Amino acid sequence: MTPSGDDWGALMAAAQNGNGGAYRRLLGEVRDWLARFYARRLPPPLVDDAVQETLVAIHEKRHTYDPERPFKPWLAAVARYKWIDRLRSMRRHATEELPGDLSVGDHESAVTSAIVLAQLLVQLKPAQQEAIRLVKLQGFSVEEASARTGQSESLVKVNIHRGLVKLAAIVQSQPHVD
Amino acid sequence: MSTEQLLDSLAAHLQPVKPRRVRSDLLVLAAVGTAELALFLLFGAARHDLMLAMKLPSFWWKLGSLGLLTTIGAVTAIRSFDPATSPRRGLRTMGYVIAATLVLGWIIDAASAGGAALWARLMWRHGIDCVFAMTALSIPAIVALGVLMRRGAPTDRSGSALAVGATSATWGAFVFVFNCPHDDPLYIATWYAIGCAIIALAGRLLLPLINRW
Repeated sequence: MTPSGDDWGALMAAAQNGNGGAYRRLLGEVRDWLARFYARRLPPPLVDDAVQETLVAIHEKRHTYDPERPFKPWLAAVARYKWIDRLRSMRRHATEELPGDLSVGDHESAVTSAIVLAQLLVQLKPAQQEAIRLVKLQGFSVEEASARTGQSESLVKVNIHRGLVKLAAIVQSQPHVD
Repeated sequence: MSTEQLLDSLAAHLQPVKPRRVRSDLLVLAAVGTAELALFLLFGAARHDLMLAMKLPSFWWKLGSLGLLTTIGAVTAIRSFDPATSPRRGLRTMGYVIAATLVLGWIIDAASAGGAALWARLMWRHGIDCVFAMTALSIPAIVALGVLMRRGAPTDRSGSALAVGATSATWGAFVFVFNCPHDDPLYIATWYAIGCAIIALAGRLLLPLINRW
């Protein structure tokens, strides 16, 4: 059975008072929620890191949770913030390679992730979509992407940079999710 | 480190924390502001014709609009340090208040006897001094709000940073009203807007860099 947000709120309130047992239980349940959240929004190899980073952020910022308010919106806001952060960080790692199994048929989370990313990508210019898809999602080098698209290498880099900036802005402007 | 180990480690080293309260943060900021204003006045920085100036509509226009902007900005900035609260609505309200302030200033200006050359009325040497003074007076507020922002968890860092910068700017200008001998709405609208814009822009550009979490 999935606990309600109110249960998590009570556990977090106890954690703020130093109850380690309640905190361990809360983090375990939140970890599963975060894994589902990021599986829908990030390529599978990035999910574990995003979950761990968000758990550390929750730990460091636990004093910002107000026990008189619902827990889920607070958690979703932190998770969304870290998702945007990860999208932004992707542009700082121009040569990061992701495996090509992003849309393997029997991998549900990968397919869902690919669908969510595809829905976001269509909001970019075609040249930006192409550069991000090839370099960031399919693991081609900038040189290879340049050869495939006919864009110069510097244009590929510019399109990736601008596309990811716009992607982060699109996500930021959307209402809170989940 | 596996996620399980991470969870065990976080729970094992758990320390009690005091939940953040918007009211406490506002009180901290009010204390910093009150202390700054009291010191400013105690050191004799108030304009010598203050009692006379208080009879002019332009004095109350300056003080009232800057006080209102500071209040809206402070509430917006501090509320936005909660992850689930966006500063955008408050920033929009500040924009409307600034526009209304400028329109009101124009009405006050039009109602007074004009005729002097615009350039002469701007008195740019004085204006630059005013901008420097406002910037210096905004420092306590920007430091206090910067510390509160760092302690909080703003999820719209650029929006929160702009709210912090705008609040600090309007606070610095509010304190400066007690010293500034100029009552010409054109002068005030021009130089106060320039001073506030510089501080707000500095906050918007610098604070996100030191408030990553």
